[in-house]
Amino acid sequence: MNVLALDFPPVSHLFEWPDMLFGGTAYAVNKTVLIYLAAVAITGAIFLLAGRKTGSLVPAGIQHVAESGVTFIEESVVMETIGEEGKKFVPFLTTMFFFILFSNIFEVVPGIQFPANSRMAVPITLALVVWVIYNFVGIKAQGLGGYLKNSLFPPGVPVALYLIVTPIELVSTFVVRPFSLAIRLWANMVAGHLLLVTFAVLTHTLWTSTYVGAVAPFAMLTLMTGFEILVSVLQAFIFTILTAVYIGGSLHPAH
Amino acid sequence: MRIRRNRLLAAPLFALLGIAAFAGPAQASGESVGGCMAEVIHEAEEHHGQDHDVLHDEHVQDDLEKCFEAPNPILPELNEIIWGGAAFLILFVLMVKKGFPAVKGAMDARAERIRSDLDAADQARIDAQAVQADYEARLADAKAEASRLIDEARSAADQVKTDLMARHEAEMAELRTRAAADIESSRTQAIADLRAEVAGIALGAAERVVQSSLDADVQGRLIDAYIDEVAGGNG
Repeated sequence: MNVLALDFPPVSHLFEWPDMLFGGTAYAVNKTVLIYLAAVAITGAIFLLAGRKTGSLVPAGIQHVAESGVTFIEESVVMETIGEEGKKFVPFLTTMFFFILFSNIFEVVPGIQFPANSRMAVPITLALVVWVIYNFVGIKAQGLGGYLKNSLFPPGVPVALYLIVTPIELVSTFVVRPFSLAIRLWANMVAGHLLLVTFAVLTHTLWTSTYVGAVAPFAMLTLMTGFEILVSVLQAFIFTILTAVYIGGSLHPAH
Repeated sequence: MRIRRNRLLAAPLFALLGIAAFAGPAQASGESVGGCMAEVIHEAEEHHGQDHDVLHDEHVQDDLEKCFEAPNPILPELNEIIWGGAAFLILFVLMVKKGFPAVKGAMDARAERIRSDLDAADQARIDAQAVQADYEARLADAKAEASRLIDEARSAADQVKTDLMARHEAEMAELRTRAAADIESSRTQAIADLRAEVAGIALGAAERVVQSSLDADVQGRLIDAYIDEVAGGNG
């Protein structure tokens, strides 16, 4: 796609990757799938290795990474949103956080430079899993009737307003939530990837034509790479904490 | 143990290498629309020959149109859903069964160890404070005892001093009295001796002066009267 003398690749070509194995089947492996598998391998390796170092009083290295992650999820996510009874969700939320984080962070890894969550597969899958979990937790904690009543008719709202509030709550809680959760993560990673590609193409084009003109887009590329690291972590955190908030809301209807 | 650890470390490394190895060809396929069109035209020319007007061929035009087509990026691919879901499920099972309990167990054990160490330190501090209080009490007792002993010693010394002074005064008084008595005795003796000596001398002198008119008694009375007179004048 030629835009202002820039040979910018079509957007789909930035996100669609050819099959490498089992091409044309439902089990086809492409770059996105490899990043998912790498995220599993890295997270698994961190926790399995950290679990073997149990003797030291002061955690260091990989043990520190794993324990900081667990502490962060437990203290800053679960205790802040659900409370003590949410501790049973810490393994799930920790897994989710690290899986999303490592799927995102490949956006800035040289040679790979692609956030796997800029593909909709994992965000929507995880969002639907979260949808099932928070609805199940709500029904289990309050009973089906209680859960629906507290979800659709929030206490403290004047009765007349239920005409407006109830349809909104119905749509937002049971329909929009999983999609907003998925699209937030997906769109952020798509936007970040597009930004990096844009500045990379600009840098390349201006370098081959003017040399000096490439300085500004290269500076922006560097800046945006740092920014995307922040976005990768932040989006993993937001997805995780919103999951905890939804679960907490199902457990404690008064909140 | 070390071998297993190395294998665990190797797993993500191989995954990264795999991605990096496939990334090259994958990126190469991310060609531009122009590249796609050039490829279609090139293939058509190879297929139909250079003489054929490929740009007006309907099939080629359809293929060229496809270069502008792109799948909806928001729709997830089935293979990615399957692999992504399976990857998360595998990781979750791995974490729940192995990784998380090990890390959490280590954290809890450390927290328990630190808690027990703190409890032990608290107990040691309480014990030390008790020992310190005991020592301070004993020290205070010892100081009070020393003070009492010093006071007793001081009062005893004062008593001894008073007694010694009193005895000294008494002895001095006795000595003074004895000395006075001795002096008086010596004086009386001296007077008596002197009187006798003077009496003898006077008698001798008077005998020579008034030998014939006075007898011995008269002489004696005269001499005594004289001596008394002399003594009264000296006394």
